[in-house]
Amino acid sequence: MLAALGIGSVDELFSDVPKRARIGRLGIGPSREEPEVVREVDKILARNRPLSGFANFVGGRLPIRYVPAAVDAMLSRSEFFTAYTPYQPEASQGMLRVLFEFQSLWVELTGLDVANASLYDGATAAGEALLFARRLHDGHRFLVPASLPWEERSVLQNYASGPGLIVEEIPYDPGSGGLDLAWVRTKVGQGDVFGVLADVPNGFGHVDPAVLDLKSTIGAVPLVVAADPLSLTVLEAPGRYGADVVVGEGLGFGIAPSFGGPALGLFACRKEHVRMAPGRIAGATLDADGRRAYALTLQTREQHIRRSRATSNICTNESLMALAFVVYATLVGPRALAQLQASLAERAKTLASALGGVPGLLAPRFDAPYLGDFAIELVSGTAPAFLERLRRRKVLGGQAIVDPRPGAPKTPERILVSVGASAGEKEIQRYVTAARAAVGGGGP
Amino acid sequence: MTFRQARWDEPSVWDLAPSGPGEVPNVPGLPERFRRKEGVRWPELSELEVVRHYTRLSQMNFGIDTSPYALGSCTMKYNPKVSELLARRPGAADLHPSQPESTVQGALEILWRLERILTKVTGLSEVSLQPAAGAHGEYAALLMVRAYLRDRGELGSRTEVLLPDTAHGTNPASAAMAGFTTREIASKDGCVDLAALRAAVSEKTACFMLTNPNTAGLFESEILDIAQTVHGAGGLLYYDGANLNAILGVTHPGRMGFDVAHLNLHKTFATPHGGGGPGAGVLAAGETLAPYLPVPRIVKRGRKFSLDYDRPKSIGKIRAGYGSFGLDLRAYAFALAHGEEGLKHVARRAVLNSNYLGARMGQYLPRPFRPLVKHEFLLSGAPLKEKGVRTLDLAKRLLDEGVHAPTIYFPSLVEESLMVELPETESKRELDGYFDAFVRAVTDTPENLHAAPRNLAVSRIDEVRAAREPLLSWKDLRAAPAKVEAP
Repeated sequence: MLAALGIGSVDELFSDVPKRARIGRLGIGPSREEPEVVREVDKILARNRPLSGFANFVGGRLPIRYVPAAVDAMLSRSEFFTAYTPYQPEASQGMLRVLFEFQSLWVELTGLDVANASLYDGATAAGEALLFARRLHDGHRFLVPASLPWEERSVLQNYASGPGLIVEEIPYDPGSGGLDLAWVRTKVGQGDVFGVLADVPNGFGHVDPAVLDLKSTIGAVPLVVAADPLSLTVLEAPGRYGADVVVGEGLGFGIAPSFGGPALGLFACRKEHVRMAPGRIAGATLDADGRRAYALTLQTREQHIRRSRATSNICTNESLMALAFVVYATLVGPRALAQLQASLAERAKTLASALGGVPGLLAPRFDAPYLGDFAIELVSGTAPAFLERLRRRKVLGGQAIVDPRPGAPKTPERILVSVGASAGEKEIQRYVTAARAAVGGGGP
Repeated sequence: MTFRQARWDEPSVWDLAPSGPGEVPNVPGLPERFRRKEGVRWPELSELEVVRHYTRLSQMNFGIDTSPYALGSCTMKYNPKVSELLARRPGAADLHPSQPESTVQGALEILWRLERILTKVTGLSEVSLQPAAGAHGEYAALLMVRAYLRDRGELGSRTEVLLPDTAHGTNPASAAMAGFTTREIASKDGCVDLAALRAAVSEKTACFMLTNPNTAGLFESEILDIAQTVHGAGGLLYYDGANLNAILGVTHPGRMGFDVAHLNLHKTFATPHGGGGPGAGVLAAGETLAPYLPVPRIVKRGRKFSLDYDRPKSIGKIRAGYGSFGLDLRAYAFALAHGEEGLKHVARRAVLNSNYLGARMGQYLPRPFRPLVKHEFLLSGAPLKEKGVRTLDLAKRLLDEGVHAPTIYFPSLVEESLMVELPETESKRELDGYFDAFVRAVTDTPENLHAAPRNLAVSRIDEVRAAREPLLSWKDLRAAPAKVEAP
């Protein structure tokens, strides 16, 4: 190859890098053969304690559910796995058809018209929904529940900061944890609100019936609903109670937790707004022989064409996770998914009632319906200390509902408890026993 | 070699079985009006039916494992299988980000170690792995620039992001989302025109975003003067790391004078791109901007790793969790396997591949700008217009050879451009095979070029129709008046 180029050394190919810009050694160690790499990485991973070693009740927005082996087998098809974005649709019908099926499934679950081919995760999908809502409606204020997890609020504040928008918190009813609709009505009446977000379940794990009346409260202001996909197998489709955008997080729906990523951002909207939507969209068309074929479409919205006037900067998305999402739903089937959600709700009810009998615990903390998740509150002591006592008994009791940043406002000692697929009767009993010991300040 | 892609008459999933609305089970305590009125409509299939359906679809898709992928700026290198083994270990896949820190010490250690490696590769002082993709890293970096300017009282005055006209589309889009106005600097001979940049920088300049080597495949040799110009005007310098592959171990953003950078682990560090994603972005910042990186930061005290939220200047969170751990782990394995010498070899081999193939393909189509390139090179398909052929036709004809086409019509400063990149994992034999396929394609008759592709699951797709009459889901197909039958 050097001879073909008429040069003596590869060094000559770097003659355009000025001497003053060159570096010496990086200092990152020698290369390693495959067995050494495996040994080294396994040694580090051995310091982890996987969820399977615990009675696990951590989940929330990233729920823990069994992923059937066939999902991973399909995800591992290297024609999908090692492909790039389908810029050449004729060579990429497989992935385009998967994306079209995925979009159709999210449309079906949400009751809206159009879904995109995915965004990064649930939190960034909410961020994109904020910017999308601003394109639909004037104003500077975006209302979100005060119970929204701090991470999502922080992501939203970042997405709002570029165009100088403000994220404001809707107070919740101290008894039910639900939205204060009177406050929303007044706020919207004052003008300057361009969008309202409600999450289902909310940051306390509960489903808030006030959400059903939100659209009639805010009128023409766009309603964004952030919904857990599994919950939509039993809950009314948000498109039917006025949602203009439905976003969500797909992790847990055929996607292994992997310490939180890669995840899957879900986004659906109404057809009349599709040209303002962010992200890639697969569409059906015809080939030169008049047969059904698929391609990425409506690309004039996107960064590679519209540049600074694009609806979003997103390029790489989460196509492979979208594949996992649609394969999972198809493998399990709609009936079994709805039954899974109902059974998680029943087990959650069992756990919540049992924890309600533990002195020193308010469980469930809020008087509102719930599916697999609910909040508890400690009468005394701190949530992290309580959770640590549970951990010593091999119970992961949930996640503290708290903004961990120094200087964040002090909040009550609450814990979001999530009943995942692995939490059976035995695990529930272990939680209750461990909780009894832990509130007493005891434990091994 | 004759290539034929599988051509299954595979129905869509909803045509494989009836999709009646399922029953909605009773959920205790749920108000009736919150209960779904009609069950989800989706087919009920056996496991084999599902597996066969998606396996057939997969056979109608190119991947690196089946075909060389010459997409310029996408760095489609081989994704090592050992990474897949490791990412599926329970100690990696079965972890939740909200588990107690004491139970995820290994995960934090992987992230911490990868961050250390990437600080060395970038020559910048701190790294965050939180961004979900390259564009997300750009956006986060510009939000950090914003926060920095606010602290200096310059947010109201430094409102402009400068970029060359060869910049990736994500650059101006990210800058606009972060609230900046953008201004493009015209290139000269494929590189930044230093005189034009000097004339453009001012007290309004927030930062200059640059990819080096750039999207013409050229190393911006005046980079040190560029850095001085931008800094002299009080602006910051942003490194788009999409093309880092070509300069690994030769130079780095820190040495070139950049203040902040993003990298794409799904390019340089060989994590799979999954048909469009997931990606994994890296944010690297020098001392000026490091305090603004997203929280949490991973810190090591003794042997213990923990998540540090005590960064008062931090922009906060840009996504939930700590990043795409599954991909970070793969990137770490890649870095570990390669080590210092291996990473240097990556750049040398990638640049050799690109110059070799550029010299050969350049015999058939003109190459704009100087011949010495880095990871990729440009060709212009303009001469083909004489025989009524466009770059698009050539790209489709290449697909018929069983190889993926180059990136086309970008960057736009070259007429009918093709941007070719076959990274270090492609052998000379594959490069020569790609060249032979290219020669067959470029010398073919206009009729054949217009008729391409013929060997794939579908023929030339009507993309205009897709945009004009959008059919975007199953719902639209059912409502569509025109019935289309498979042959």
